[in-house]
Amino acid sequence: MMRAFRAELVKTLRRRVLVVAAVATTAFAVGGAGIVLAAAQPRTSATPGRGATLEALGAAGGGTEVFRTAVSFSGFFVFVAFVGAVAVEFGRGTFRTMLVRQPRRLRLLAGKMAALLAFAAGLLAVAEAATWVAARFMAPSFAIDTESWTSTAALGAGIADYAAVAAWVTGYAVLGMTLAVLVRSVPIALAGGIAWAGPFEHLVQDAWEPASRLFPGLVLEAFVAGGTAEVTAGRALLTAAAYAAAGAVVSAMAFTRRDVVG
Amino acid sequence: MTANAAHPVHRRPPAVTAEGLTKRYGPHAAVAGLDLEIPAGVVAGFIGPNGAGKTTTMGMLLGLVAPTVGTGTVLGHPLDDPGAYLDRVGALIEGPAFWPALTGAENLRVVATLAGHDRGQIPDMLELVGLRPRGADRFGEYSFGMKQRLGIAAALLGDPELLVLDEPTNGLDPAGINEMRQLIATVAAHHRTVLVSSHILSQLEQVCDWLIVIDHGTLVYQGAADQFLGQAAPVIAAAPQHRRDLEGLAQLVLTHGLRVDLDGTGLVVSVDGDDPTAVAAALNRAAMAEGIVLAELHVRRPSLESHYLAVLEGGPR
Repeated sequence: MMRAFRAELVKTLRRRVLVVAAVATTAFAVGGAGIVLAAAQPRTSATPGRGATLEALGAAGGGTEVFRTAVSFSGFFVFVAFVGAVAVEFGRGTFRTMLVRQPRRLRLLAGKMAALLAFAAGLLAVAEAATWVAARFMAPSFAIDTESWTSTAALGAGIADYAAVAAWVTGYAVLGMTLAVLVRSVPIALAGGIAWAGPFEHLVQDAWEPASRLFPGLVLEAFVAGGTAEVTAGRALLTAAAYAAAGAVVSAMAFTRRDVVG
Repeated sequence: MTANAAHPVHRRPPAVTAEGLTKRYGPHAAVAGLDLEIPAGVVAGFIGPNGAGKTTTMGMLLGLVAPTVGTGTVLGHPLDDPGAYLDRVGALIEGPAFWPALTGAENLRVVATLAGHDRGQIPDMLELVGLRPRGADRFGEYSFGMKQRLGIAAALLGDPELLVLDEPTNGLDPAGINEMRQLIATVAAHHRTVLVSSHILSQLEQVCDWLIVIDHGTLVYQGAADQFLGQAAPVIAAAPQHRRDLEGLAQLVLTHGLRVDLDGTGLVVSVDGDDPTAVAAALNRAAMAEGIVLAELHVRRPSLESHYLAVLEGGPR
């Protein structure tokens, strides 16, 4: 597994990838912070929602709340990125190239996913820090007090926000991997994933209330938003974890048993 | 023939064996009860028509395809445990598949890291396949021939005992095909076993000392290449000095009760069990008697390609 992990990092830790990631992270930090701060409203009810309130932003964890809120709207992108990263290996035939060098398939898949998640974790840490800095500069323009953002409590909140976002990314990563391993085609996997996680879940959610507590994309959204009116963060995490576990088992079975040449 | 022919290959256990190897896709059997034994140290040509089951067989040997039925070994280890032998096997199957945004050297680094091989050999591998000057260019910018060569370089990482090459000359121009043949001969010269499939039989003929012929998933022939070609009846190639005498020469051959085919500016005469040298001498005398001067007259074995085609069409096996 470590060899697969390191091999995947050879692909990701390249100057070009890092430059693109740095530019995207900076753009995300500045743009996301600006949008979240501009969209923040005073708390009008006890109902939790996806947008940040002015009260929450003014609290100790406000700086990283900006990051968590901003990133929660990019779940679709995270899902698509992981679907593409795995499905493209089938489409290009590079899984074949890798499997003749690492025939222990479970180790290959686990190592690849671990490396992608490690890369994502690093990117998230940088994004959280950059978003915090951007928000700190912008907050006074929106009359948000940032004095408590540098407190010890803020550090704890920052770690909690980071852990929540990392878990959320992991959930999407496993679901994306599962779809890619089952479908093994970039266009079909992307079309299916986009149709499901985009319009389908949200249309059904409007018509059928339990969808918010049952559909994988919706529970992940609810979790990273800290819970919604329909489902608490804890319940959403448990449901998402169950999906992730099932997805991991299904993809492991499919990947280890199916032929790669035919 | 390669230098391998001189090695005492029979003293080592077979590089590959298979018994009743079968792969079914629904009712269709891509490979049906294949029995193989490839001696260690040979260059084995794996030939058969499109869809004969060559790639599927190679996929089973490489752990990419699970056999429906059958057993086998690669380098002494059972097929169902590819992890036990694939670190000593290099392979290029179904074309070179790499990451287009990575350079040639980076692609080899990924493969070497994955296999746990020394990355220090990458420049040597690039040199061996003639890609050293282009190692820093992206794979996506390579010509098909360069991609094939990178595939060979990747297969050679870790100094494998067995090299499995599936159509390595696919898509190459004549110069590229010739280079690939020389490359295979070079890598085979180090006591390696090479299993190579190709439709360019004239090139295979020059490098292979072992042949496996399959058709519709079943074995047609396996054994020494010389023996396969030795089964073919020799022919006489004859050409008159003047092209105008070609028809007269053909008539002369026919009057001797022999079968003749036109071949460019000459004739190919089938001997059919007679002593070819005696027939050639008789033909020479008859031509002289008719005032036809022969510019070419010699006995030759049919090419691998012509014998292979004859075999597949139900001719002598």
